[in-house]
Amino acid sequence: MTTYVLRRLLLMLPVAFLVTVGVFMLIHLTPGDPALILLGEDRSPQAIAQIHQQLGLDKPLYVQYVIWIGRLGHGDLGRSITTNQPVATAIGERLPATIELGLVALLWSLAVAIPLGTIAAVRRGSLADQVATGITVGGVSIPNFFIGIVLIFVLSVSFRMFPFGGYVPFTQDPLENLRHVVLPAIALGTAGAAINMRFTRSSMIEVLNHDFIRTARAKGASWKRVVFIHALKNALIPVVTIVGLQIGGIIEGAVVTETVFTWPGVGRLAVESIFDRDYTVVQGIVLLAAFSYMVANLMVDLVYGWLDPRISYS
Amino acid sequence: MSTTSALLTTEEPIRRTPIGVLVLLRGYPRVTAAGGLVALLFLIALLAPLISPHDPLAVNADDSYLRPFSPGHWLGTDELGRDLLSRVLWGARVSLPVAFVAVGVGVVGGGIIGLASGYAGGFTDLLLMRVVDALLAFPGLILAIAIVAALGPGLRNAMIAIGIVAIPVYARLVRAITLQLKQLEFVTATRSLGASPARLILRHIIPNLLNPVIVQVSLSAGFAILAEATLSFLGLGAQVPTPDWGQMINTGAAFLANDPWLAIIPGIAISITVYSFNFLGDSLRDALDPRLRG
Amino acid sequence: MRRMAVAFVGLLALAACGGSSQSGSQNGTPKHGGTATIALESELRTLDPMDSSLLVEREVFYNIYDSLFTIDSSLAIKPGLVKSWDTSDPMNYKFTLQTGVKYQDGTPFNAQSVKDNIERYQTGATSRRKSDLSSVASVEVVDDSHVTFHLKKANATLLATLVDRAGMMLSMAAVKQGGPNFSLSPVGAGSGPFQFVEWKRNDHLTLKKNPAYWKSGFPYLDGITYRAIPDVNAILSALKTGDIDIARVIAAKDVASVKADGSFIYKDTPAIGFNGFELNTGAPPFNDPAKRQAVAEALDKYQILKNINFNIGVVAYGPIPPSSWAYDSSEKIYDHADASKAKSTATGFTFTFKTTSDPVNQQAAALIQSQLAAAGITMTIQTEEFATYEQECANHQFQACNVNWSGRIDPDGNMYAWWHTGGDFNDSLYSNSQVDGWLEDARTTTDQGKRKQDYDSAQKQIVQDAPYVFTTFGVSAQISSNKIQNFTLYPDLMIRMTEVWKS
Repeated sequence: MTTYVLRRLLLMLPVAFLVTVGVFMLIHLTPGDPALILLGEDRSPQAIAQIHQQLGLDKPLYVQYVIWIGRLGHGDLGRSITTNQPVATAIGERLPATIELGLVALLWSLAVAIPLGTIAAVRRGSLADQVATGITVGGVSIPNFFIGIVLIFVLSVSFRMFPFGGYVPFTQDPLENLRHVVLPAIALGTAGAAINMRFTRSSMIEVLNHDFIRTARAKGASWKRVVFIHALKNALIPVVTIVGLQIGGIIEGAVVTETVFTWPGVGRLAVESIFDRDYTVVQGIVLLAAFSYMVANLMVDLVYGWLDPRISYS
Repeated sequence: MSTTSALLTTEEPIRRTPIGVLVLLRGYPRVTAAGGLVALLFLIALLAPLISPHDPLAVNADDSYLRPFSPGHWLGTDELGRDLLSRVLWGARVSLPVAFVAVGVGVVGGGIIGLASGYAGGFTDLLLMRVVDALLAFPGLILAIAIVAALGPGLRNAMIAIGIVAIPVYARLVRAITLQLKQLEFVTATRSLGASPARLILRHIIPNLLNPVIVQVSLSAGFAILAEATLSFLGLGAQVPTPDWGQMINTGAAFLANDPWLAIIPGIAISITVYSFNFLGDSLRDALDPRLRG
Repeated sequence: MRRMAVAFVGLLALAACGGSSQSGSQNGTPKHGGTATIALESELRTLDPMDSSLLVEREVFYNIYDSLFTIDSSLAIKPGLVKSWDTSDPMNYKFTLQTGVKYQDGTPFNAQSVKDNIERYQTGATSRRKSDLSSVASVEVVDDSHVTFHLKKANATLLATLVDRAGMMLSMAAVKQGGPNFSLSPVGAGSGPFQFVEWKRNDHLTLKKNPAYWKSGFPYLDGITYRAIPDVNAILSALKTGDIDIARVIAAKDVASVKADGSFIYKDTPAIGFNGFELNTGAPPFNDPAKRQAVAEALDKYQILKNINFNIGVVAYGPIPPSSWAYDSSEKIYDHADASKAKSTATGFTFTFKTTSDPVNQQAAALIQSQLAAAGITMTIQTEEFATYEQECANHQFQACNVNWSGRIDPDGNMYAWWHTGGDFNDSLYSNSQVDGWLEDARTTTDQGKRKQDYDSAQKQIVQDAPYVFTTFGVSAQISSNKIQNFTLYPDLMIRMTEVWKS
């Protein structure tokens, strides 16, 4: 097992290297000049040249890459081109908002998925099963930005039940914070319900077939008790693994939702930075997302492997 | 898309021959239903020029913002007086091909990498799989947006971007199956007899790839349509006046107060289409790999 | 993403209803207290006028900082921190400053402060104000309330420049106190009606009333909150839900419904910019003047105004808008579309028109395309992502490029950089020595009558030569809840909150 972990960690290194090269090349080879974005209406050839020099953009690409990697080695992600803030600060400011959105969305998707998955498993093959599956597949089929704008239109503009966009930190005003996160979380989480439901269902089915469940029933335990106390507990463990993967992918998932709801998160920052050609910020965010994805994958594979003895690590 | 199948590949059973289509349809009613739905969508896309009551690009400023069920315009008109029904029908002609080209890029690109990696093994495998891992680690939508930003907004580049994002799934899938097949006795025996790799790949590996790939393609098609709609919604995919569903939601969102149908109807169209593909993929997977249904 | 293009949309949302200067509405006696929330079309990058380059930043600055000069709603230069001025000597401007003014951190405003500020703008490493102040050789402190600006060369536009960022006065003590983070947190740095409280990027920016504001009795409001909302439709929604009180721009299509709604106020006045597209005179096909003229002749501005701008605004005949003293409507060179005339001038050629994916820009492009087709001119629309498009247009890699200009108070700001040989915005590579001469003369002469003559001549020539095809003029708008009182509309698009109160 330790050799497996070590091997995986070792393999992550070339992957990380490839990701740095990939993101660097992609964003630097995109046409468009960050100096022009910075200068707005105050552009002049001298000002442009000055900014290129200040940001080191006049050096050859491979030199810029080496400088960036060198800084990375010291834990320095560089400074944002558009705001001159340290990239780590820029991301750090917005990460809590994205994490909150992602977690609440996850809660929503589980709140839908677990009951539906349980019903589908218990009444496997029946109409209830089909309907439950149908609902969740439906949820994943509706574009999340569409859910978002419909929710905004109905609940925010028409019925004034929820505020329109914006964000209030939890530490400042918990109630307002929750009011603001509800709509985006629903828009984001609905798609995830399908995967979580399917996993809940299949793992519940497997657990329900286990001997110890049959024994419990044979001993006279009520159906409800069996389901809720024994089966669900065990069935949820593999679901946790898939949830882990979703947490690893939190930044990517939030991109569109944050845009529609003007949520001040990292996903929206990534998109804006691409449009602004803010090289350093894009690079920083992609690295962060890739890293969290790889770590989440490793964790999940370990847990999954521990759970399922059929998987062996050679 | 990526996570579920990556976990499930370890459990793919090997079939020697692909299941016949007729067997599928007869034995699995869900597949028939789903297949019918998808076929209907393709039919609509194909016949759109014939069945659309109006030209989807015909601007008619005097007739704008008509409500659904207006005479001559069953679903009403948009802000420039274009018939909504025609635009939605033609939207299928845009979205479906885009989805399939994008998935095609993924299948071909990923398939080649997966085959090479699985068959050659050793260092090639190690190297190629690290490239695939890197691609997978890149947050998908952000990668697609960056690629389109680099290449320029438009449907063609959106297809390329989505296709590139889809490559890792197929690379892993094809590689996993290739690996398993490689270990089978008859393969090692045939190889020792001197059979050429090409023959082996063509006659034995590829037929066994068909089922899992077809399942994955159905699921990918749904996600590709969503991805293309998302890119168009962000202004990076189809441009005005192309009748693309995502782009129609983008422009329509501005009119939610006056005329919500402009955004809602294309949204429903996308949902139904993606649902059909997901449904098809799900039922195919059930049919072809019963063990996974648990 | 409509983020950046929103500025263009806003300027396409134009009108000239009435046209006269709009002074504030007064319903009863002003009430003190309350806060107003204002929508900004994009997030700011800095709160320091020195390195600022965005329009939205100026909106905030005018409420935190005072400038040496101000304008009234008819664009006339008025006293700001400068009480009176003597520009009889074109190389040495003498200013008498207001007395008894203190910055929000308590330090006094005086001549030395003026000198320090100007020098900071001229020499700061990240300063974007250098070219604005390039004609100023030095600032001399005569005494605490008198300064003399010694100029390198005569510059009739200097006072207008000092209305904007280059003339904004900051407390040097506050700048020093703020250190490297000053631009994110300029505590106590201004002398204006409101002072900085906090800035949570991408969420909100709050200002609060300056109790020691030198114009006693003002401001009425206790505070202002700014929110960056990048999408015009989102701005309208936020207005409707009451999340914002004031907006500067909404989509042209929504103006009619907002006007009709009694819970909102909509007013507009001609702004100072112009809209249209530039043609590259340095490469085929537009190195041929006849082809440029053909495009200008075939264009139907009236149709654009109606279909794209919903008749908000007026058609444009040149770079100088109706709000300016230099406006000349006597000769309309390219007025109504004349496809047959265009055909006889030049026809049968193709060119590419670059624009962004913003739906309004796309629709305008499609309209122009059909107008030109009627004259046998084929236009291909090339849609590009904003940063790409900006770079290509700035680097002369285009045939036609859709660029609008937000405008400057002084007509020089709408012409010199654009069409003087080698000008910073002269993407079209236009060069005409006569025009150069007129523009240079207009810059250095202080006689406004002579300047107007120069601009008339230059404008006629430029419009005729068509390195740029003008479509419409924009409006500056008040779009607010009906609780906002005494709001004065300024043509320069800036929202000045000193005298605004909330009922």
